Amino acid sequence: MSRPENNIRGAEVSGQDGIALEAKNLRKVYHRGSEDIVAVDDISLTVRNGEFVSFIGPSGSGKTTLINILGCLDNPTSGTLTIGKREVFANCKGLSESDLTRIRRQVFGYIFQKFYLVPTLTVYENVVLPFAFFEKTGAVADPMEPLRFLGLDKRTGHRPSELSGGEMQRVAIARALVNKPEILLADEPTGNLDTKRSEEIGQILTSLNQKEGLTILLVTHNPALARIAQRTIELRDGRIVSS
Amino acid sequence: MAKKISVYQVAYKNLLRKKTRSALTVLGIALSAWVLISLLGFNRGYKSALDKDIDNMGFQILVTAKGCPYEAATLMLKGGTGLRYMKESILGDILKHKEVIEVTPQLMAAIFDPNKGETGGISAYLGVDPVTFPAMKTYLKFKQGAWFTKPDSLEAVVGYEAAELEQREVGDKMLIPEKNVEITVVGVLQRSGTADDGTIFLPLRTVQKIFDKGGLITAAGIKVDKNANSADLENKLYDLPDVQVVSMAQVKTTIMSLVSTAKVMVFSIALIAILIAMLGVINTILMSVLERYQEIGIIKSMGAMPWDVFRMIWTETVILCLLGGAIGIGFSFAMAKITDLLIRKLLPYTPTGSLIAINSSLGLVTLGVVLGIGLVSGIYPAWRAARVRPLESIRSEGE
Repeated sequence: MSRPENNIRGAEVSGQDGIALEAKNLRKVYHRGSEDIVAVDDISLTVRNGEFVSFIGPSGSGKTTLINILGCLDNPTSGTLTIGKREVFANCKGLSESDLTRIRRQVFGYIFQKFYLVPTLTVYENVVLPFAFFEKTGAVADPMEPLRFLGLDKRTGHRPSELSGGEMQRVAIARALVNKPEILLADEPTGNLDTKRSEEIGQILTSLNQKEGLTILLVTHNPALARIAQRTIELRDGRIVSS
Repeated sequence: MAKKISVYQVAYKNLLRKKTRSALTVLGIALSAWVLISLLGFNRGYKSALDKDIDNMGFQILVTAKGCPYEAATLMLKGGTGLRYMKESILGDILKHKEVIEVTPQLMAAIFDPNKGETGGISAYLGVDPVTFPAMKTYLKFKQGAWFTKPDSLEAVVGYEAAELEQREVGDKMLIPEKNVEITVVGVLQRSGTADDGTIFLPLRTVQKIFDKGGLITAAGIKVDKNANSADLENKLYDLPDVQVVSMAQVKTTIMSLVSTAKVMVFSIALIAILIAMLGVINTILMSVLERYQEIGIIKSMGAMPWDVFRMIWTETVILCLLGGAIGIGFSFAMAKITDLLIRKLLPYTPTGSLIAINSSLGLVTLGVVLGIGLVSGIYPAWRAARVRPLESIRSEGE
């Protein structure tokens, strides 16, 4: 059952066609005692629809903070963010958790280093779990579709404890895809996997991007994985050093 | 159409993660529900059993020799009085009052029987008038035989339980210890659910003769005209010398006041049990929320709004409480007889009927109370879960 989502906060702007996401002068400052820590320092970038962008950099370079802001998991301290034609963050106004949720569920699918599958649910039930809370207009009609695409159609009745790490991450990907997101955010998706499984996940992401035209933002420490993206952005001390 | 999963199914399956913890919580709730419904059932059952006992006495006022009113009330319900005696001539004085329809004399006699049980015991006999007593106790029906053949015959009518206990049938001979008098059983009563079930009845004259109490009685039961003012009659009867007048209303009040202290204590225990069960539920659900902190964050990143998460956690609490409540209520129905026996051991006096009167409406009330407990207990954990921010939960990785 679809629920209309007409009340997403953020004004529509006349953005350029083909732009998935545009950030301007994003800045994120954390206050720790009397010290200010600048995690993201005046970053501007544009991601086009169907683009596959990877973010690399050493620990503490600000890549996860940046992707959290781009993925509407966090508010920036300042700067603007436009997703499609929706201006999400502007004039330093932070959004409430509910407003962020409304944007997230319309736009993004997420996969993380840990898979966060519900251990008491089967593979199939984990994949359709988002529908228990929200079913987007245009979501996949048949949840078996992503499961088949990811080679999990024979494992639907299994529980996560019966799966390998690579299979669990594929279930997490299928779960992220059921609501047909505009942008897939992958934060260290191979961090818990061996080289072979990491390559498998890399191939899946490439396939999703090339065959399905899905926009993908990937954060990784793994240079080999980063290379599968069309564009790699390197961060250091909260700034983009190469793109 | 593709099969989906609902929030309620997710909530139910979440409870299966820590089966032992969920089961223990359900058990705690079940015990509380059992205590609660048993107490509510006791509250109804005790009063109705007492009313039945008193109504089945056949008379509304009992006159005994002067003594402790509590003792009189208790002994009266047990089928006799203490060994204080009045002159039989008092019956004439009682009958003079226009409110009195009938009066029946009783003489209780008790004697030590060395052959009773392993170490001996007291055997009691109730001397009754063969004419007036059966007329007042019309509900007494015979399983075998009939009332006495003569007013002074050496015959006995045995109550249902007394006959079962002593294995008596019509025609059996009974020896009254010390007196060396043999009496013949001429009747065995059907079960009446009253104190009469445990009584051995003899003709009044026979008891007076055997126990050397000629012209004496221990009590007089008075049947009062329905339209008469019972309180007025009681006042008039107090003019008789050295008597204790006990009305049924007084007996009810006296017994209920004796029981009320025990009831307050047991209700306090029930309240504590309910509070402990509530804390158990809060603890279980809160632990579950904290253990799933990251997972709840991910669920919110999937699109769950705070209310969705609140509803999911609240549902878990409600499932635990409804399951525990249903088990406790089922258990209370199955264990009603054992609970009855336990309460009989705790209380100084208990009526002969069933003390625990549980029915489906009491079950529904208990389930409602348990559900209320669940809804209240679930608020805090559900609120905590609803407030989880995805970013914070993801950052807490490894904590």
